[in-house]
Amino acid sequence: MTRLVISHVGKTYADGTEALHDIQLHADTGEIVAILGGSGCGKTTLLRLVAGLDQVSGGTISIGDQVLAGTHPSISAVFQEPRLLPWLNTGANIGFGGQRLSATDREARTAALLDRIGLAGYASRWPRDLSGGQQQRVAIARALIGHPEILLLDEPFSALDPFTRASLHELVLDLWRELRPTIVMVTHDVDEAVFLADRIVVMRPKPGRVHETLTVDVPRPREKLASAFDLMKRRVIRAIDRSLADERRVGIRVGSGGMSPWV
Amino acid sequence: MRLTTPGPWVVGLILPLTLGVAWEVAVRQGMVSGRLMPPPSRLWASAWALIRSGEMTTHVLATLWRVGIGFTCGAAAGTFLGIVTGASATVRRLLDPSVQALRAIPSIAWVPLFILWLGIFETSKLALIGLGVFFPVYLGVLSAIQGVDRKLIEVGRVFGLSTIGIALRITWPAVLPVWVASLRTGLGLGFMFVVAAELMGASEGLGYLLLDGQQMGRADTILVAMIVFALLGKAADSLLVGVSRPILRWQDTARSRL
Repeated sequence: MTRLVISHVGKTYADGTEALHDIQLHADTGEIVAILGGSGCGKTTLLRLVAGLDQVSGGTISIGDQVLAGTHPSISAVFQEPRLLPWLNTGANIGFGGQRLSATDREARTAALLDRIGLAGYASRWPRDLSGGQQQRVAIARALIGHPEILLLDEPFSALDPFTRASLHELVLDLWRELRPTIVMVTHDVDEAVFLADRIVVMRPKPGRVHETLTVDVPRPREKLASAFDLMKRRVIRAIDRSLADERRVGIRVGSGGMSPWV
Repeated sequence: MRLTTPGPWVVGLILPLTLGVAWEVAVRQGMVSGRLMPPPSRLWASAWALIRSGEMTTHVLATLWRVGIGFTCGAAAGTFLGIVTGASATVRRLLDPSVQALRAIPSIAWVPLFILWLGIFETSKLALIGLGVFFPVYLGVLSAIQGVDRKLIEVGRVFGLSTIGIALRITWPAVLPVWVASLRTGLGLGFMFVVAAELMGASEGLGYLLLDGQQMGRADTILVAMIVFALLGKAADSLLVGVSRPILRWQDTARSRL
């Protein structure tokens, strides 16, 4: 089993700011792990370390027996913004994610993915001609064309309207069922975390650290109006409240006293 | 009924044509002499005489050759040095302050030195034009490389591109629009500097025609040379825009939507 293991990872910037402190977590093969937390708790920093875009200051990140040092061919990512290359058309943008594929494979997978994300016939369109949701679909397809073992999602749905967000949740789940990558996603949306994840890691800030990990025991397919879903959400919100209380105890100023900002 | 909107070039012709006709009428009616500002008919007669004698072709080819060679050398040097200084912080720290200091010297101030170093003939002229083209291209490429979106570079890194791959597949396409814009600025300056170059002792070229017209008191020759300069400059710029259009059609700019 190829696990992603984050072991005692810390990140301190050159100016002395400690962004992450002794992070320990793992993701099993094919698991979806959501990292949940407010702004500034180091979620994105952690994801950037896993992606190899930044260097850890301490600890290790490994896949199986291999300790990561920089980017890795098995790891792919979707960012908060689609980050499509504006000089490549839609098809070429998807193909860009398959650098290691042969031209024939890349072409075939691009066509299949375009169809899969509902953009068949859009291959020659420029990114500028796509809506925000369509661009993010292309970004997801680009991240999956190489069949990565680990897919990192850095709040890719946060800038989208609720309708588009819901359809992209379904798209990600469909592609996950089909390709079974391990997904580590960062979000500040409790609904999204409960809907998509197998486990939820609640983080708290200054410096960013893991506060609590919860297993989502809601059977798939998940129904957002089901009572099990609602109960799970309450458990997550209580965990967040506990993390906020913990912060107050150590004298860190947080938002409005007592009222959870997550509901 | 739907009225056909005239193309922008037609609209652009209205003012010069009106002024030309008005001036022609004023001269023919004897309201002005037209000695220092000849009417369009006299300009056309001068131009036609230059064309028929073959002089115009000689002057135009001489000027175009100088601009062509000077522009190519200046643009190539500006692009190369812009890429090198943009790509390497060490080279940038080493070279850029000196290049910026040289840029502060008005290019025309180099003329005496170029003549002293390279002689009065072609080399000094080409050097002056090349210098004029070099600076905007260098600055454009350098600032564009430094301004490439870090987020797009990260996309290249995540998807496994090497440093060279990132340079060729992300940095260079991102720099292209600014590069083309700086080439256009450089080309405009090339035409500006060829006049200065040809005024410093040439026996042919449109700049020489200007000087000749001044010395002979022929305002019509001067104006014909100026008009040909304008036409050549516009044609060269349009050629550059036309050549670059296919590689920049992805741009999401107001121009691409209008």
